Amino acid sequence: MVDEVKVAEKTEKLESLRKIDDNLRLPSVPERIAFPKEIGVSAARMQTPAVGQRATRPDGRMHGLGQTKYIDDMFFPGMIHAKIKRAGIAHAKIKSIDVSEAEKMPGVMATLIGSEIPVNSFGPSLQDQPLLADDVVRHAGDGVAAVAAVTEQQALDALDKIKIEYEELPNVFDPVEAMKENAYKIHNNESNVYATKTIMKGDVEKGFADSNFIFERTFTTQMVEHVPMEPHASIGQWDANGRVTLHSSLGRITLGRADIARTLELPINRVRVIATIVGGNFGGKNEITTEPIIALLSKKTGRPVKCVFTREDEFISSTTRHPFVMEYKTGMSKEGKIMARKVRLICDGGAYCSWSETTLGKACILSAGPYNIENLHVDAYAVYTTKTMTGAMRGFGAPQVCFAYESHMDDMAAELGIEPLEIRLQNAFNEGSASPTGQVLEAVVVRDSLEMATERFGWKEWQR
Amino acid sequence: MTDIALIVNGENKTVSVPPETTLLKMLRENLNYTGSKLGCDVGDCGACTVLVDGLAVNACLILAAQAEGKEVLTIEGLSTLEKYHPIQKAFEDVAALQCGFCGPGMIMATKALIDQDQDLTKQEIKDALSGNLCRCTGYTKIIEGVVDAYQEITGKKIPATKPRVA
Ligand code: FES
Ligand code: FES
Repeated sequence: MVDEVKVAEKTEKLESLRKIDDNLRLPSVPERIAFPKEIGVSAARMQTPAVGQRATRPDGRMHGLGQTKYIDDMFFPGMIHAKIKRAGIAHAKIKSIDVSEAEKMPGVMATLIGSEIPVNSFGPSLQDQPLLADDVVRHAGDGVAAVAAVTEQQALDALDKIKIEYEELPNVFDPVEAMKENAYKIHNNESNVYATKTIMKGDVEKGFADSNFIFERTFTTQMVEHVPMEPHASIGQWDANGRVTLHSSLGRITLGRADIARTLELPINRVRVIATIVGGNFGGKNEITTEPIIALLSKKTGRPVKCVFTREDEFISSTTRHPFVMEYKTGMSKEGKIMARKVRLICDGGAYCSWSETTLGKACILSAGPYNIENLHVDAYAVYTTKTMTGAMRGFGAPQVCFAYESHMDDMAAELGIEPLEIRLQNAFNEGSASPTGQVLEAVVVRDSLEMATERFGWKEWQR
Repeated sequence: MTDIALIVNGENKTVSVPPETTLLKMLRENLNYTGSKLGCDVGDCGACTVLVDGLAVNACLILAAQAEGKEVLTIEGLSTLEKYHPIQKAFEDVAALQCGFCGPGMIMATKALIDQDQDLTKQEIKDALSGNLCRCTGYTKIIEGVVDAYQEITGKKIPATKPRVA
């Protein structure tokens, strides 16, 4: 009884709404653009720019009004949606891929597999990464096939109908294991180590012999995902002149454009990449992901194709921060002066190289910290494992080693009974100090910064 | 297809969508209100926050059909042609939005909070916005923006938190 009344009430409201709307809809009026006509410039933007003043952003107003158009906010007539099938298996040989069932699903307009891509490999330093794995899957987030359908939901449903036969290969998850001679070679190379760097300065063995104390410790850091709030997104349109236009959330469009042209085997002037506001990059959107795939899907279907990563895609298939294994050995004098340091860095690069070489170089140079060390020896290795791939992320290897050398410093200070601030000031760079690679440094403010910072946040009070 | 009649930003609308369509999808794709963003689609990030009958709701978590007969307010409905909304103004003035993707959700969650008309502390503001993630700002500026907007709208003052070391 009660329910009946409710339903009746609701119907009435619904009908009255419909009636009003019908009147409004004829003739149909486009959506109101909801921003004030005259706002004036924010006071914060009127001041002379100077350090310590309040700052504001030129695009902040558009963001706040919800008017900024990110890739996912753009729609083109006839646009369809693409989704990528992920392997879900860390390491396997692909025996066969069958997309015929998926193609029969409602709304599906085209599918794409790796072997249909003209040049199925890319990467900023080594071109070792396929756009869609066609032969071997090297991490669980590897794409293996793509579907374009009228709606996103239809594309997702069709992914389940793709049949792939795998032959499992051994997993290599530990970078230290991966370095061993008998480890399974993920890329069929002689070794899973694909980049090495060495820095040698002075004589470490002599330095250790001259030290009063030797400290050793191994530090590890974990994989970190950028988690930009806006997932990777792009829209591809292949036109009748054989030109491709890509709207993309790519951060480095010129680099991306070269990669897209290379993978599609097109002269670079046939590829147009349009970047717009990016909803967070942090290094994770520096490389192409699906751009060539959607370009080809657009070619197949003759329609604009949009692909937006799901949050799951974002976690399992986009790049992450490199996990590091860092072995430190430091020789100290009684007074707390660093006499010698030996460092071994192992950078777990995941399945593909991406920016690992660059990251390794930077980690290597910074691994000694901002300290004067006469005798230094750093060995660094980037290693393939069958895990989610790593790439650029804010700091490029610097945060990992910083965590290690500063923790190491604290350990040593505690053992030697020296104040943590004191031990740092004793060893810190001075004006004109040389970096581990011999670069003479100017305007060195590390001591001033340390002193000022500790004073400001109450280091002395906290110590009591 | 499901027929839905509702009010969005003060205007009556009728929409016909497949039954599995979320409120967010309908707002973005059928009504062109792309201000609300899709960040995760599972209710974790708050980028899709809109007000449904005055309550902050993750639009990715409710079906369009559940908004039948309800009043929905999105970021596009805050300012009018005549007046810039104080929350949006405060966010602009303190540079609380960097990439801006979290912005519309943050601002809508802030509106729901201020509309409750309660005395707030900074901690309560932080708690109330805990369902909205931002990866760029580190939240400091956002909280500052909310405090400014709250003081502007309600005329109340929020006690400044004491620094840790005097
Ligand atoms: S998209 Fe709705 S909470 Fe993230
Ligand atoms: S401003 Fe980029 S996520 Fe908040």
